[in-house]
Amino acid sequence: MTTIILEAHDLTKSYPIGDRMIPILEKISLVIGKGEFVVVIGTSGSGKTTLLTLLSGLDKPTSGRVIMDGRDITDFEENDLARLRNEEIGFVFQAFHLVPSLNALENVMFPAELKKDRQAREKAEGLLQRVGLWERRGHFPEQLSGGEKQRVAICRALINAPKIVFADEPTGNLDSKNSTAIIDLLAQLHKENGTTLVLATHSTAIADRAQRVIHLRDGCLTNETEI
Amino acid sequence: MLHLRFIFRELILSAKQASIFVLCVALSLATMVALNTFRKNVSHSILGDARSLLGADIRIHSHYPISRGIDKMVSDLENHHDIEATKTYELYSVIRPLSGMRTLFCRLKVVGPRYPLYGKVELRSGRPLSQVLSPGKILVEPEVLGRLGVKIGDRVHIGEATLTIADVITHEPDHPVNIFSLGPGIIISAADLKRLQLITKGSRVEYSILIKVGRNDAAINKLADRLKQVSQPAQERITTYKTSNSGMKRFFDNLFFFLSLISIFTLFLAGIGMQSSLSALLREKQKTLAIIKSMGADSGFLFRQYFALVLCLGAIGSMAGVAAGLILQHFLPKVFQGLLPQGLTLTVSVFDIVEGLAIGLLVVVFFTFLPLYDLRNIRPVAIFRHDRTGTGRGILFYPVLAGGFLLLTVLVVRQLQDLKIGLYFMIGTTALIVVISLLTRVLLAAIARLQVASLGMRQAMKSLFRPGNATRSIIVTLTSALSVLLTIFLIQTNLSATYIESYPPDAPNLFFLDIQPDQKTAFANEIGGKVELFPVIRARLVAINDRPVKQQTSRRRGDSLTREFNLTYRETLLSDEAIQEGKTLFTKDASGKTPLQVSILDTVAEMGDMHVNDILKFNIQGVPMKARVSSIRTRTKSRLYPFFYFVFPTEYLQHAPQTFFAALHIHKKAIASLESRIATAFPNISFINMADTAAELGRLTQKLITIVNFFAGFSILAGALIMVGSIFATRLARVREAVYYKVLGGGTRFVLAVFIYEHLLLSLLSSILAVVLAQAGSWGLCRYLFDISYSPHLVVSCTLVLITSILVIAVGIVSSIGIIRQKPAAILREQNGE
Repeated sequence: MTTIILEAHDLTKSYPIGDRMIPILEKISLVIGKGEFVVVIGTSGSGKTTLLTLLSGLDKPTSGRVIMDGRDITDFEENDLARLRNEEIGFVFQAFHLVPSLNALENVMFPAELKKDRQAREKAEGLLQRVGLWERRGHFPEQLSGGEKQRVAICRALINAPKIVFADEPTGNLDSKNSTAIIDLLAQLHKENGTTLVLATHSTAIADRAQRVIHLRDGCLTNETEI
Repeated sequence: MLHLRFIFRELILSAKQASIFVLCVALSLATMVALNTFRKNVSHSILGDARSLLGADIRIHSHYPISRGIDKMVSDLENHHDIEATKTYELYSVIRPLSGMRTLFCRLKVVGPRYPLYGKVELRSGRPLSQVLSPGKILVEPEVLGRLGVKIGDRVHIGEATLTIADVITHEPDHPVNIFSLGPGIIISAADLKRLQLITKGSRVEYSILIKVGRNDAAINKLADRLKQVSQPAQERITTYKTSNSGMKRFFDNLFFFLSLISIFTLFLAGIGMQSSLSALLREKQKTLAIIKSMGADSGFLFRQYFALVLCLGAIGSMAGVAAGLILQHFLPKVFQGLLPQGLTLTVSVFDIVEGLAIGLLVVVFFTFLPLYDLRNIRPVAIFRHDRTGTGRGILFYPVLAGGFLLLTVLVVRQLQDLKIGLYFMIGTTALIVVISLLTRVLLAAIARLQVASLGMRQAMKSLFRPGNATRSIIVTLTSALSVLLTIFLIQTNLSATYIESYPPDAPNLFFLDIQPDQKTAFANEIGGKVELFPVIRARLVAINDRPVKQQTSRRRGDSLTREFNLTYRETLLSDEAIQEGKTLFTKDASGKTPLQVSILDTVAEMGDMHVNDILKFNIQGVPMKARVSSIRTRTKSRLYPFFYFVFPTEYLQHAPQTFFAALHIHKKAIASLESRIATAFPNISFINMADTAAELGRLTQKLITIVNFFAGFSILAGALIMVGSIFATRLARVREAVYYKVLGGGTRFVLAVFIYEHLLLSLLSSILAVVLAQAGSWGLCRYLFDISYSPHLVVSCTLVLITSILVIAVGIVSSIGIIRQKPAAILREQNGE
């Protein structure tokens, strides 16, 4: 394996619902190398989304550690996590989650503007052209199709050249044609940029595109396979 | 860093909530700005010219003829042309036309040649006063002509004189408005004073010397000090135009003060509306904010964007509020009609506008602090699920909150111009809102536990607890506003019922004043029956147990121990009196004689903290007298019967300069002819028709209540705004619920029923809580502060509950029409797309 970029040690997560604690993940340990394309596969409710949120620092584990690029981010303060999310991580959501008040170009520019990147506009325009959305750059999310929204979301995730991109069921809300297009795009961008890609899905077809597949069932890691 | 594009777009997308916020800001300011500018204009137009209001630079006044020392000093100064001076005499008397039975109790002002020293008396003819007023001629207020049925040129009897009406007064500089008077005014030349024969020993006259110094304040103050040194300190008061506190100024100060209280209360409620609408707006945005945080924005970034947004909305709202206030100001003369002269000039200064904007922004910053601060608690994981874990309050929370509260207190104190009352108001209002908030919590907890059979009602009860519903804010605001309005109504009606409307049928309705000792028998004969005449000797209380009575320490129960009192003498208690302390009215000594002593009323005893055996020192028209307190009396009947604070044994005061007073009950139909006979036979005797006076007072009270209710009504708007805002904020959840009901088989009727029940619950909770609080508060105030009987007016309370319910349901349904009409398919498709 090449240099390790992400490690998880005994990650456990439980959520309080009412007066009960519901276990979601149970002592997950894994390692991801720099530039790898890893798929986390499991059925609905297996804990894929939760695992991705913990690995990306969007949420904190109940116990366990997350080491990113040699740094233990588990106890990072909110501002440090914010910087990490802005500069080193990109996230693509199943439900796209674009900012409704910004158009396609502005949505893509936003993370770069947060970083005070003077070339934010040029970078965003380049990315949109790359994914074939130049003509749609001035449209707002409600005016875009599902596939277009997800392509905008991918551009947004990539604009700050992150070390890792997390994609949580990026084709979950798309038809098969768009799904294929999105996965092709992600795979291509992964190849071009060498960005580490961690993708959660329940689709075995998508899993076949990855270099490594991690199987989750009922919150536990059951299997890992190299493709 | 401000992302202006983002801020602007957010504003557009949240237009409804933003509009509610802006309206709340505008509402918080409108009445305050209107009142502040109007107050300044009234002060400037009516009260601004303090010299005209006083009629002089210095005024010397007394209830007794001016002492020789003062008179001489003033004459000397006049002779040296150092000052200009004129004398005036103010008294009340009855006037009557040459024929007919009509009489009219009037305020007479007898004026010297140079009157007025400042300002101008305006007459209907437009001619100057000096040309019109001459011996034998009088000037009258318009009411005199109407009530007596006379016109210019007619002659009238005043005292022993017959004088001609020369003109009508349209404006007096020291009497710019007629708020309340026992009778209309008449101006008479000083040359006619002797002819009137109204001023005898013991007569109730206000003697004044008005002085025009015509130089700077230092010279005026120096002369005032010199005059004080030669004056009779217990009798003569010397005021300058700066130190004088005219009754008119006091009236308007008190009225505007009370209205300021109401406008600040509206500001508080509107502030709650601001907080509620901003919270709703941010709740709507929670997912967007979580997305932005997932992209790397920190809490500081979000705070800056939304603070800028809030300032922007606050500025718009402040401008709207200031504009609304300035427009509202133009309607205020109509609202204050009857209390203000026609043609009041309304102006607006740049300062007024800037002040209004500054207050608006300060209020916005205070009331939006909490929701903005809570942005810290939004975490990126909220994209996926409802996340309740936050980062806690933080070290800045309490200091910033305390600082904001302090600034708000400063604003309130500044508005009320009184530190003590401002602090009491802040504490009282905060306590009221806290109490209502706690009671609301208890009531809602009780509702959560209720089991009801009706499905629609059950769903409506659960809707009260829908996430994002501003149920508590709506109830707190509506309850606060309604309870204040109802309290004002209950207190006003109970006061009116006690003092004005329910005039007991057997109570005295005609009071006769200034009956001279040698007129007693003739007066009684004229009345035609047994008449109880009360001797009245005017005096001042100078000391209690050798402790001088001072202005600052003696003001209690709304009265002052330093004023002039009416002493009387008799040997027995009145029929409505009882001894509270002491054995009998007066005590006898060992030899069986009644030494010099005084019986006092419990109310004055409380004012001066006086007890039996205390030694009181009086100044009885220049003659000092000490008396031991022999007993303390209390009254057993309502205050419509005459009473005296100080009663002496007969032998000690029967030879003092005195007049007599009679209080009679005369049949309504016989009043006019009796008044005419008394006025003809005894021109010096004044009489007051108490029923008419009470009615006049009632009209004034009604006018004031109309003004108060006008301002208090704005506070109801705050509640309505919060309600509408809450409906907008929870629109998505309501739509989903409506769709689910329809999908499961409930029709539009069921959906409508649930919404109606929800708003009915809101209105009932608010209005019933308001009624309970208002009734409790009003009862307490009537019982312990005003000491009057209390009637709960339950019909009015029930009507309030009914009207509130109708209005709240109407507003709720109108705001929800779009939701009720939503088709299920479109919403379900939208949900799947997310």
